[in-house]
Amino acid sequence: MNVLGPSLAPYIRSSRTLKKYVTPVAHWYADLMGYRKMGLKYDDLQVEESSQVQRALGRLTPQETYHRSYRFKIASDCDLHHKPLPKEQWSKPEDDKRYLQPHILNVLKEEEERFTWDTMTVQRK
Amino acid sequence: MLARRASAFARSFATVVDNAGVKVAAVDNGQPTTAVTFLVKAGSRYEPKPGVAHTLKNFAFKSTAKRSALGTVRESELYGGVLSASLSREYLALTSEFLRGDESFFVDLMSSFLTSGKFQRHEFHEYVLPVVEAESIAASQNHATHALELAHSLAFRSGLGSSLFASPHSHVSLDDVKEFAARAFSKGNIAVLGTGIDSAALSQLVEKALAGASVGNVAAESKPSTYFGGETRVESHGGPETVFIGFGAAGPADPALAILSAHLSPQPSVKWSQGLSPISAAIPQGTSVQPVLVPYSDATLFGLLVQGSSAAGVKEAAKVVTSALKESTGLKGDALKTAVAKAKFTAASSLDGRDGILGALSTKVFANSDASIEATLASIDKVDATAFSKSVAAITKAKPTFVAIGSVHALPFADEVGL
Repeated sequence: MNVLGPSLAPYIRSSRTLKKYVTPVAHWYADLMGYRKMGLKYDDLQVEESSQVQRALGRLTPQETYHRSYRFKIASDCDLHHKPLPKEQWSKPEDDKRYLQPHILNVLKEEEERFTWDTMTVQRK
Repeated sequence: MLARRASAFARSFATVVDNAGVKVAAVDNGQPTTAVTFLVKAGSRYEPKPGVAHTLKNFAFKSTAKRSALGTVRESELYGGVLSASLSREYLALTSEFLRGDESFFVDLMSSFLTSGKFQRHEFHEYVLPVVEAESIAASQNHATHALELAHSLAFRSGLGSSLFASPHSHVSLDDVKEFAARAFSKGNIAVLGTGIDSAALSQLVEKALAGASVGNVAAESKPSTYFGGETRVESHGGPETVFIGFGAAGPADPALAILSAHLSPQPSVKWSQGLSPISAAIPQGTSVQPVLVPYSDATLFGLLVQGSSAAGVKEAAKVVTSALKESTGLKGDALKTAVAKAKFTAASSLDGRDGILGALSTKVFANSDASIEATLASIDKVDATAFSKSVAAITKAKPTFVAIGSVHALPFADEVGL
């Protein structure tokens, strides 16, 4: 298991029927989690105490990094006031994009490649 | 035996083949290893913004569509090859040296950078920019390199005058590099040079490697060079006191300058001796003089780099150099013959090494001119006393390029050394 945690998503996406039935449930669950009420995006919840995620965070554009810390600021403000944002300020589901996950996947792929090169056995032709 | 060698060399050296727009030249002298260089017209004279060419050079061998940066390094290590990238004012050279027989892998590796380099943003920030910065700082702390950079910018201003190194204050963005690469990596701007490989085999590989690629066809453009000249002084500490006295001219390389350089070079032919140059006996202890001759496709910069531990010594040596330069217009008889022989030997012996062959080919391959050593030697031989003095008088008549780096309060001004 990697820093992204276990995921059934690739399996579910591979089957058309499963995808059709699970997608609405997934959207409902994402809404239910409540992070959107604090103005956050799903990738803001990613555990960042790992070297891989730290490297991925370094690969965000300055603009993305700025927006990310701005969302954190808003969310901690909500936390202080013990109440969510007014409804018109909630993050919209269409804006809830995985902005960090592709970078994490790239970092993981690089580490895996390095491991493969480090442990390969060379066969002389 | 020698004659047979020479003719084989001449035959293999003169093969510049135009292969679907890409020029291929190869020479096989039976070396145990092969080197292939992709020469791209992406030097600093073509860059749209200062520092872009330097950044592009450091992007070489990073991720491509075929393999990642790590894969590139590890795989070439498995083959025992060496990859290197170097930048001149006119060309970006991507070179790999490897054992005979591995050419298909290395040609594919280098061409994949030209055709499908990914130019990833994180590689730009994590690997490329730190190296660019380190190289720029190292170059700025080397007085000789710094003097030549300044001399170029004084002599040619724009074009050839643009620095090889990105200054710490240049804001090169990834998009600048991508755009520059897209324009530079087109078939008309690429030449492939090989040593230790058969010309036919190399052109076949190159054809295959660049065939499926969507390589554009935009010619690199730079306005023709003009020589200006001027004087600059830079305060600096921690290195030798440095003075560069140079002259330049637009137009193709003049063989008379190679003779002048050979005549003035204080490098002795015998160890522990002083050499026959008019400079070597007259300069004070602790100073060194080095002739610098840099030919480009449409201009030449010739000069003498004077370095020493004390500013007074450098001033004395600079005076000696200037008077020697002025007196060399009257060079004739045996002195001229000696200089011609020395220049011919330098030109010929440079072709013994891989760098020399690459240098000789790179100036000729795009111009389609005769790159063989016979042509070079014949052109040097053709210079007689009148032609020599005319050439030297013409180049020294122009405004000198004078650079002083070190303790500027003590280093001489151009008029103080007799320029």
